Amino acid sequence: MLVRYIATRLVIGVAQLVGLVIAVFFLIRLLPADPVSRLVGLNPSAEAYAQAERQLGLDRPILTQLLHYLGLAPEEGPGLLQGSLGISWVTGSPIVEEIGRHLPVTIELITLSFLIAFVLAVPIGMLGALKPGGKADRGVFIYSLFAGSQPEFWWGLLFVYLFFFTLGVAPPPLGSLSPLTSPPPEITGMITVDALLAGRPDTFVEALHHLMLPVATLVFILSGPIIKMVRQNMVRALRSDFVLYAHCAGLPRWQVARYALRAAMAPSITLIGILYGFMLGGAVLVESVFSLSGIGQYSVRAVLSFDYPAIQGVVLIITGISLLIYLALDLIHAVIDPRVAY
Amino acid sequence: MPRLVPGLVPALAASALALTVALPAAAQSLLFLAEDVPAGLNYDGPAAAIPTSQTGMVNLMEPLFGYASAGENEDGIIVPNFDEFEGRLVESWDYDPDTLTWTLNLRQGVMGCNGAEFTADDVVYTFARAKSVSGAAPIGWFLSNVASIDGFTPDVFGDEAARELGDEVVALDDYTVQIRQSEPNALFLPVMTIFGLHIFDAEEMNANATDDDPWAHDYTNNVNVPSFGPYCLESWTKNEEIVFTANPDYYLGAPAIERVVMRRVPQSSNRVVVLQTGQAQLAQALTPREYDSLRDAAGVAVGGVTGNENLFVHMNFDVPPFDNPLVRQAVAHAMPYDQIIANGYFGQAERWPGVVPSGYPGFHLSDNQYDQDPDRAAELLAEAGYPNGEGLDAYGDAFALTYVAEKESTLGPIVNAIQTALREVGFPVTLNPIPQTQYGDRQLVQRDLPFAVNDQEKPIGVDAGYAIQLFFVSPEAGGLNNMVNYRNEDVDATWALARIEPDTDTRNAQVAEIQDQLMADVAWLPVVEYRTQWAFADDLNGMRWHPDNSVRFYDLSFE
Repeated sequence: MLVRYIATRLVIGVAQLVGLVIAVFFLIRLLPADPVSRLVGLNPSAEAYAQAERQLGLDRPILTQLLHYLGLAPEEGPGLLQGSLGISWVTGSPIVEEIGRHLPVTIELITLSFLIAFVLAVPIGMLGALKPGGKADRGVFIYSLFAGSQPEFWWGLLFVYLFFFTLGVAPPPLGSLSPLTSPPPEITGMITVDALLAGRPDTFVEALHHLMLPVATLVFILSGPIIKMVRQNMVRALRSDFVLYAHCAGLPRWQVARYALRAAMAPSITLIGILYGFMLGGAVLVESVFSLSGIGQYSVRAVLSFDYPAIQGVVLIITGISLLIYLALDLIHAVIDPRVAY
Repeated sequence: MPRLVPGLVPALAASALALTVALPAAAQSLLFLAEDVPAGLNYDGPAAAIPTSQTGMVNLMEPLFGYASAGENEDGIIVPNFDEFEGRLVESWDYDPDTLTWTLNLRQGVMGCNGAEFTADDVVYTFARAKSVSGAAPIGWFLSNVASIDGFTPDVFGDEAARELGDEVVALDDYTVQIRQSEPNALFLPVMTIFGLHIFDAEEMNANATDDDPWAHDYTNNVNVPSFGPYCLESWTKNEEIVFTANPDYYLGAPAIERVVMRRVPQSSNRVVVLQTGQAQLAQALTPREYDSLRDAAGVAVGGVTGNENLFVHMNFDVPPFDNPLVRQAVAHAMPYDQIIANGYFGQAERWPGVVPSGYPGFHLSDNQYDQDPDRAAELLAEAGYPNGEGLDAYGDAFALTYVAEKESTLGPIVNAIQTALREVGFPVTLNPIPQTQYGDRQLVQRDLPFAVNDQEKPIGVDAGYAIQLFFVSPEAGGLNNMVNYRNEDVDATWALARIEPDTDTRNAQVAEIQDQLMADVAWLPVVEYRTQWAFADDLNGMRWHPDNSVRFYDLSFE
């Protein structure tokens, strides 16, 4: 039954992706700018314009362009069906390679951030729920207001100023490694993982050190809503009939709390999943502040330079990952909530 | 995993110590913080218009000609002497005006990064590649066309046979090349200094060509650009970092700085703080405020030059009421020039008294100048039929002052000052920030921007005539980027004469006449020439300005 459910979801997901790809293909062509003009900046003659237009394939009918992009006109070159997302109009590199280089940077950053945020937020949220109005609860309320009062890039810049420039305990915001360090051989694209795989603990530690501030910035921002969600759901669970029955049955307090937490986790995990999908592209400001070449930075650059193949590729990949995350969330729900069955 | 744990503790301690203590600059290495790293190294490729890509090219490649030095300016920045060319890969040269032929005697014993020796074949290859117009943006062809090299005509785009290099560029022997022009044209030598005609290492390029890509565009877009420059490519991760190492066989002597790491740091404020800690030795593309804040910082120097960067107001002749010369002059007299210099550029700018960079050969100081004079602006506006601006509201969005949104931190204070000053006279100015690419499209292709502020036009050909042909000659007469739709038959006719005038004095007089006309018509409203600046460690010497505004690491050394 479960396998059939997953298969059905994957088929629907593929159909959604195809629809999205076609919609994005046409929508970006409605943007109020012509990507050819960026190419011909130094030589804006009519002949050079026509040449650049030909090079980008924009001189062909739009349906021909779509068929080429989808891979249904292989005589014109590989397309989606052949595993190609096209060539960047800015760099001339294959989009698959570029996304393959940028995406792991963001995945490493936000995965580490969510893990730490989760580990911190769950007990803090529980504490607030077990003693509403207590010191912990009030502290969480003030923190939530504080963390949400400024955008993440502002906190990032403040952390750089404080921890790097003033206190000197953090490395400079120059990316994943010091400019003096050679990166480990690329296997996953995630520096920490690749450093471990290459048996280079010093590089692993250095990468963690460089991730310290960007991760702290994201944890600072992300923990607020997770704590709130855990707290509210815990409060609701603690007031439910099954918890009242557990208390009446004389179960120890920690055991009751464990039951309540399990009931409270489902919506919290949903929130984390949604936030994770959002942060794949939404970590762009933190990436910018800390000079991390993540997928968010890549997306912004693609949009600003009207690099159609890159925009289409990023949308496709991020949407695909988001669909997989939502599928995983549904499966996790089934594990932690016995009422859910597929 | 467990076997790694014992190593982690000492590694953590060592790493923390190493990273929290400011790293002193190694004597022969440089960390250069920039807004980006090269997106490509192919000057006929899609990334050629991006300034940081040009920085990569000029440090890896070598030109035929360069400019001699004119000494240091008041900031200690070395500036070029545009009246004196020096041979780079060319040792000596000769021009025969009867046959319009340049004979170039090439330098011998010049070695590239891969051990190949520079010969005439490399020059012929470079021009053959340019004429193939096989890249996404054929800059090499464009510059050859501007220099009137025979056969480099627009025919190449329609006729495949016209893309073959003929006898216009020929190797007489291993170290002698002849290049023939189709007409006299003073732009030949200036164009040869530009990065878009730097010389490729033909042997290495051919080794990396494929049947589908015979001119190695993929290789130069993504891997390397083989040439005979002072630096070789060590590693390159797009969007992140590029590392250059000195070419020990460079014909002018090995570079003083052996290794240069150019790192992308998108936030200019972070470039500032890292430079201040001494961990980086050079930073560029800061805001005027940030440069100003670093002037008194310990261990940091700020230097600049009034080169070819400027800011002007663009008024479209095809959009009323900017077709009325009185309205244009009224805007010119309402402009808060001094306020822009003081508050927009923190004093690091000067009034621009023309429409050509004032340091370029052929620049002419016209008598037609427009000082800020609100009373005179009001008079002109009334004379144009709009007393106190009455009736200007009928022109809708014509007074929406457009600028590039990505430059908000620099242009924001400037457009606000302009808006305030013009509103006081009666112009209903509003602000309209739009993305860079949209701005470029409307400027270059649509040519429909009614009213805009522009700070990004730098004619890379160092010559007043080049700037005139680029911006002010009508498209019908060969103009290339006439973004304000300016049309003046006298200007077109005079330029047609000046373009092929062999006598320098006569040509200068013709070009001066054109500049007088442009200023009288307020073809552009020139506002300021702002300084091209860099911030660097105070023990870094040799900073030199080049007209493409890219730093050459070869110029630099530490005390």
